Amino acid sequence: MLHPRKLLLPALVLLLAACGGGEQPKDTLQNPDADSLAQSERQSRTKKIFYSIPSPMETAALLKKAGASYNSKILNDVKNVDTYTAASKQALNLGVYGADLSYASVFNHTQESIFYTSCARRLADKLGVTSAFSDSTMQLMEQYQNDREKLLDIISETYWDMDRYLKVNDRENISALMIAGGWVEGLYIATQVARTNPSAELKQRIAEQKLSLTDLVSLLDTYGEDETLQGVRTDLKALSALYTDVQAGGGGVTATQENGITVLGAEGGAATVTDAQLKAITEKAAAIRNSYIN
Amino acid sequence: MLRNAIAPALLAAGLLLTAGSAQAQCKSFAKNKCVPGLAPYKFNETFNGAQLSPGDEAEVALTFYSGQEYRVMVCVHQILGEVNWKLVDQNNRTVFESLADEPKPSFDFKAASTTQMKVVVWVPERKSEMTHLGCVAIMVGFKE
Repeated sequence: MLHPRKLLLPALVLLLAACGGGEQPKDTLQNPDADSLAQSERQSRTKKIFYSIPSPMETAALLKKAGASYNSKILNDVKNVDTYTAASKQALNLGVYGADLSYASVFNHTQESIFYTSCARRLADKLGVTSAFSDSTMQLMEQYQNDREKLLDIISETYWDMDRYLKVNDRENISALMIAGGWVEGLYIATQVARTNPSAELKQRIAEQKLSLTDLVSLLDTYGEDETLQGVRTDLKALSALYTDVQAGGGGVTATQENGITVLGAEGGAATVTDAQLKAITEKAAAIRNSYIN
Repeated sequence: MLRNAIAPALLAAGLLLTAGSAQAQCKSFAKNKCVPGLAPYKFNETFNGAQLSPGDEAEVALTFYSGQEYRVMVCVHQILGEVNWKLVDQNNRTVFESLADEPKPSFDFKAASTTQMKVVVWVPERKSEMTHLGCVAIMVGFKE
């Protein structure tokens, strides 16, 4: 019996030949899988290896737990939403507004959450990801605007649906840009809050982002030479260079039992960042983020 | 001869066209059957899953933050039967293991320090003429 995977390559070649084709616009982020054999190789390579990047909601919850305060002035202006005409900018800012939405929601700023949801929806519409943001999503958000838990659930569900839609419809490069935009915005918010409130816990959380940054770069690397992701990859590698000497914890794990709960500790100790490292990361994160939103 | 070459290609083309649908089904399966199993932990919104068949292996790199409580769960479509999975640290030491013969659906723990670990899943080979393909989802929940 022929294993299905053995049939994939000839089928792909057949499909590619059938597609033929004129020149694709440079920045449309249409289905890339139809025009590149490298894409099929990426898919087979990544089929079984995943990089899990913390969602904007998880990052916002960590910030709150670290004692961060809410500052609406540092978020992306909702008026910017109509200035994003290139698909890559729309995808990046879908992530940026998604992170702003999570930040506002976790800190219980409902009205702003609804504004940011509207922005995310507009960008999703422009990118053709309409199914994640139905009218009922907006109605539900308004209906539950005073119920924080319910609101967070609706936002989580929407993020999940959007990511699902993108991946299922072979638009994973949009998903990757959205994830990158959201991650950069999360780091930007954390570093901006730390400028006025440089608590030890917040600095530790910023140092720990070295781990997720490494995963994010690995995720983008799985896309090979995808042109739409090159700029973001360069940005993140520059940021990664600033993290080189940051102590991010990690390492081997030891397990103990406390009151019936398994407690895992890392042998690498707590993450730390020096003031000079933090300053450099703060400046770089701001420069990258501002280049995405402007 | 040409017919011999075209037949598998057409079959494979059909498989490709249904691949998106299979992935959609995998996500729906994870959403409907697996997310509820994370309660009372909050789903971290990240889908890590794929259609696997016996002999296949998958791994996910995950970051766990200090002070948070987590549930790691591997959720498998019944067509595949039970699978083996383990959580390993950066030194490749096994922190938790669930084997197909004695499955444990989830592992709860508190992270005293921030750390990165990998969940490795492998589907046991079966003595069967049929090659089953089923969804395997690696899910993480956390407590706020």
